[in-house]
Amino acid sequence: MNMDSTIEFLANASVIRVEAWPGRPALDFIRGDLGLKGTKEGCREGDCGACAVLVGERLADGGFSYRATPSCLLALGELDGRHLVTIEGLASCNGGLTPVMKALLEENGSQCGFCSPGVVIALTAWLIAGERIDETGAVIAVEGNLCRCTGYGAIRRAAKRLVSDFSGLPAGPMQRLAALEKAGVVPPALAAWVMEEKGAANSDAGMAGGLSGADNGETMVSAGGTDWYVRNPDPVGGYHPFFIGREKAYASIEAAYPGAEARQRGLVIGAAVTVHEFFTSAFVNSIVPGIDSFESQVASSLIRNRATLGGNVCNASPVADLTAILMALDATVVLAGPEGERETPLARLFLGYKKLDLREGEFLARFLVPASRSRFNFEKVSKRRHLDIASANTACAIEVEGEAAAPRVVRAAISAGGMAAVPLRLWKTEAFLAGKIVDAKNVREAAGLAVSETRPMSDVRGSADYRRRLLERLVIAHFIRLFPEAGLAEELFP
Amino acid sequence: MNPIPESVLNVKGQTRYIDDLPEAKTLLHAAVAASPCARGLLKGVDAGAALALHPSIRIITAADIPGVNQLGTAVADEPLLVAAGSEWGFRGQALALVLADSVSLARRAAGLVTFSFDELEPVLDAREAAAKGLIILSPRTQAMGDTAAAFASCATVISGRVESGGQEHVYLETQAALATPAEGCAMRVISGTQHPTGVQEGIARVLGLPMHLVEVEAPRLGGGFGGKEDQAALWAALACLGARVTGKPVKLVLSRKDDMRMTGKRHPYSSDFRIGVDSGGKILAFEADYYQNSGAICDLSPAILSRTLFHAASAYRIPNLRVTGYMCRTNLPPFTAFRGFGAPQAFFVIEAALDAVSRRTGIDGAKLRRQNLLCDGDSFHFGMPVENCRARLSFDRLVEKVKWESLRRNIDSHNAKDPLVKRGAALMPICFGVSFTKLLMNQGGSLVHVYKDGSILVSTGAVEMGQQVSRKIARVVALAFGVGIERVRVERTTTLTVANTYPTAASTGSDINGMAALAACQEIRARLLVEAATLLGAPAPELSMESGRVMRNGSPTPLSWDELVTRTHEARIDLSAHGFYATPDLVYDMKSERGSPFAYHVYGCAAVTASVDVLRGTWRLDSVSVVHDGGESIDRAVDIGQVEGALAQGLGWALLEDLRFDEKGKLLADTLSTYKVPDFHFMPEKVDVEFLEGFPNHRAVMRSKAIGEPPLVYGIAGYFAVLDAIAAARRTAVGGEGPGLYDIPLTPEKTLDCLMGARP
Repeated sequence: MNMDSTIEFLANASVIRVEAWPGRPALDFIRGDLGLKGTKEGCREGDCGACAVLVGERLADGGFSYRATPSCLLALGELDGRHLVTIEGLASCNGGLTPVMKALLEENGSQCGFCSPGVVIALTAWLIAGERIDETGAVIAVEGNLCRCTGYGAIRRAAKRLVSDFSGLPAGPMQRLAALEKAGVVPPALAAWVMEEKGAANSDAGMAGGLSGADNGETMVSAGGTDWYVRNPDPVGGYHPFFIGREKAYASIEAAYPGAEARQRGLVIGAAVTVHEFFTSAFVNSIVPGIDSFESQVASSLIRNRATLGGNVCNASPVADLTAILMALDATVVLAGPEGERETPLARLFLGYKKLDLREGEFLARFLVPASRSRFNFEKVSKRRHLDIASANTACAIEVEGEAAAPRVVRAAISAGGMAAVPLRLWKTEAFLAGKIVDAKNVREAAGLAVSETRPMSDVRGSADYRRRLLERLVIAHFIRLFPEAGLAEELFP
Repeated sequence: MNPIPESVLNVKGQTRYIDDLPEAKTLLHAAVAASPCARGLLKGVDAGAALALHPSIRIITAADIPGVNQLGTAVADEPLLVAAGSEWGFRGQALALVLADSVSLARRAAGLVTFSFDELEPVLDAREAAAKGLIILSPRTQAMGDTAAAFASCATVISGRVESGGQEHVYLETQAALATPAEGCAMRVISGTQHPTGVQEGIARVLGLPMHLVEVEAPRLGGGFGGKEDQAALWAALACLGARVTGKPVKLVLSRKDDMRMTGKRHPYSSDFRIGVDSGGKILAFEADYYQNSGAICDLSPAILSRTLFHAASAYRIPNLRVTGYMCRTNLPPFTAFRGFGAPQAFFVIEAALDAVSRRTGIDGAKLRRQNLLCDGDSFHFGMPVENCRARLSFDRLVEKVKWESLRRNIDSHNAKDPLVKRGAALMPICFGVSFTKLLMNQGGSLVHVYKDGSILVSTGAVEMGQQVSRKIARVVALAFGVGIERVRVERTTTLTVANTYPTAASTGSDINGMAALAACQEIRARLLVEAATLLGAPAPELSMESGRVMRNGSPTPLSWDELVTRTHEARIDLSAHGFYATPDLVYDMKSERGSPFAYHVYGCAAVTASVDVLRGTWRLDSVSVVHDGGESIDRAVDIGQVEGALAQGLGWALLEDLRFDEKGKLLADTLSTYKVPDFHFMPEKVDVEFLEGFPNHRAVMRSKAIGEPPLVYGIAGYFAVLDAIAAARRTAVGGEGPGLYDIPLTPEKTLDCLMGARP
């Protein structure tokens, strides 16, 4: 059966129209069919950034975005209606050397050169859309790019140069893009494409018949693809990918009760909302104050641009960071299927190792996250602090009453990842904590109880014993972080 | 600044690595079907399912090899493809080559090839292999003085055990080769190798051809770090075998996962030491046994072990020393060259021994180290005199630079106040010998053409892999001719232009090849000056070349470089020359283990500070400061890049990179999602590299010093900085006696175990 469909997009300055299987990794199309060899394959699992490209998108609200993403984890079909910019596109700028390239050259930030195109792409994306044009912002932009030669010093110095050259960029996205075009950072094709009278690539059609073939296994729901392509680095087709992220209904965050104050009612979060959108959402931060501070512990900026909440949950890894976070936030999932929608608590979605309570033809459509008065914390330890999968993670939402030095727990929700075949809610620990004063004795006891609720395995990310020790410490860490006035650190670590 | 032309191409995405080259229409893509367990006896290959996948698929086995099925040089233990009836030695060893129209097909088909075999019991541990007599060649010992007598007179004697893990190179460009059959049975190969002649030799042997029928070109590599020194030959030879059998061009590019599971890495070592000091902390005796896990194939293990022994004493004067190394054959991938080449493992052992002494005796670690540093007039334990020693110089400069005493006090006062974050610091010197320890390899050639338009082309044996050796050679050549560097192009290495090369390795790339290039330049320069003398009517000795012009007694003449070149060519004088260089004064007697195997030594000192999160068992590097003895730099920017890059790899090895195998010899960390290398956040913001100024090295090109490997060793200070912070958190864990086991990498898991008393 022919699974090809028509895909039309702008590649740098050329219109590309192909009949192709939309699930094909964009990287292979870029290097193979387009012959754009500047985009490199380093790992084929989103861990090195060598294949990063810019993907431009016209948004439903009339705005636009250009984001850097690893093309090894990007479906060709996702490019439909979008603008692909590769290193060749950037090198087409006036004179061939953009200020980003020049900065790298001047600081000798390119040694073997294999990572350089990806670094240029990531830094360019940061200049186009970075929330902060400072050194920290630049480092976050390139945190998903591995360089084995420079030790990063020269790349950091190049970034500093760019910070001083571009700190005065205008605030409006379009003005900023125009300024960058003028400075030769991006070619004119970007602004020209954004201005085209074509409207957003997103549809408002909901499912749009996307799962029509689901019952015979011919359709596969693809969110960001960042986990799926890691498991299927060389997919051969045989199904229609349904790009859930292209449906506005699944890609936005809204207050549960339009008109009501978000803080009181909670949120509806589309399954295809990206990790970056989630952490930076004003809505999300209004009901979970400070949650944005945990963003950098999850994946890399390149991945966070693509990875989605629904994808992270449905990949069913027992150590998924977003699962741990959403579980502690008491999220409910809405599952959509041929018979309509049903709701189930997220904590009940996991039936066994990599096994979900998803029926034939069903997919995860959205999350319902209730508002609460809890304090929230997320703890994660991995071998490498960034872009690494946790040895163990845990999130916790605790509501307390009483004085700051000795608060009393009203209600606690604590999740634990990497501690069993499925992500866990630590129900017994939560029950124990209810009504207890936050003091060293109770915290120590809760940590011990938490460990007793788990059945971790040994693997490359840590032994079972280590995971137990780690969880014990991370549960303690929740309390030390959330209740700085309770004097726990001094008592527990004299 | 004058940008490096190759770097300009890099940042524009225009550099062509092997997989970026245009493909011939007839090109076949290759993939490798590999052994499914650590040790097995191959009985047969079943290609049925693979062949059924697509008509373009071809399966090639050992039976198709026209020449000798052997790539091993030191020991004949490396078949190209394991033959039926033979044993394989590690999981991931090549058993069959699969060819297809597309890379995707080839890789899928490779996964469908099955093997009938008897699974055999593997040996994975180096000490177990040694106990079973599975030793490659024979144990090697270097000794000086009388350790037994010296230990008897020591105030303190400490024994200990030290482990260091393997390390995956993670060159960003995986192993790759493109073979094209040429006229007759000749073969042209583009190989991602640090050692074109080695690849040429291997292919010639496997195809049964004389070397002159095999042309090997090494283009710019996307990183090497030693991983493409010996380990590139297999893939190039397989591509050639495929090309020979089919008569079509064949490209073999390993996927990251195949590269990680099939190719060699840094050797894990397990070592025992015994150290004795007098009451003041002066080292009187040191003994060590190094059990090198050599993996299943000898590869470069003997040379790596040799460097371990040569560096056993690091930068310290140790009058009585006895060290023995064992190459232990196990059923793991063939461990191989990796920047540092056996030296980091040795440095870690002696530093661990000194750490143990410092903790036992209470003598401050910095004082202990300083009082034992080498000085001119000392000699290394293999008899080479210590000359132009910069150990104390760099040590003292570093102590002054980082204000070591106050830094220590600040750390102590921080630690007294903060229960959750403990800080630590460590300082270590280095002393690294430069030259291949195998004498024969210290030679290199070059070919220099001056074209009649005045542009210059240089070819040498130095493969460019990101270390920017081309930049250095271009500078040497530009200076020799007195022209701007933009006139000089350094061409990729091929066996057609320079023959009988040795690998670009051992930090000798610019030393040897720069000198070889200089030799050729000097020959051409002399011819040019003779012609200039005629043209200017001036005696040749009064003439020189500078700023693109002929100078007479230092003053410009009207004769420009361009004109001189044109006129010399018109006078029918050769504007090309071949240069050659063999590092002088190297002598070594393997039997007595005495001699001077190194041209010179590189010194330096590093201080690292780190913080440990006591609660979570994680660490963070806070700062690295280095004072490095780099001679007179040919190009400072290049040298800084080398030091910073080496540091990252050294720190990664010491703290982060966790090369784990399961109990059956399967590599667990076989992707970049499970094997983590330093990223942007891992490196401290504060990395301060200072070069000793005013200390030219008269034993290398343009008074420079080799730079590639020595700074990697500084990473070990990262381990000790974290250990120091752990000690502050839990005095009983690593205070007093020191840890029961010094163990690299010091991962968060081990850190938490130390903090919670779950480790000795």
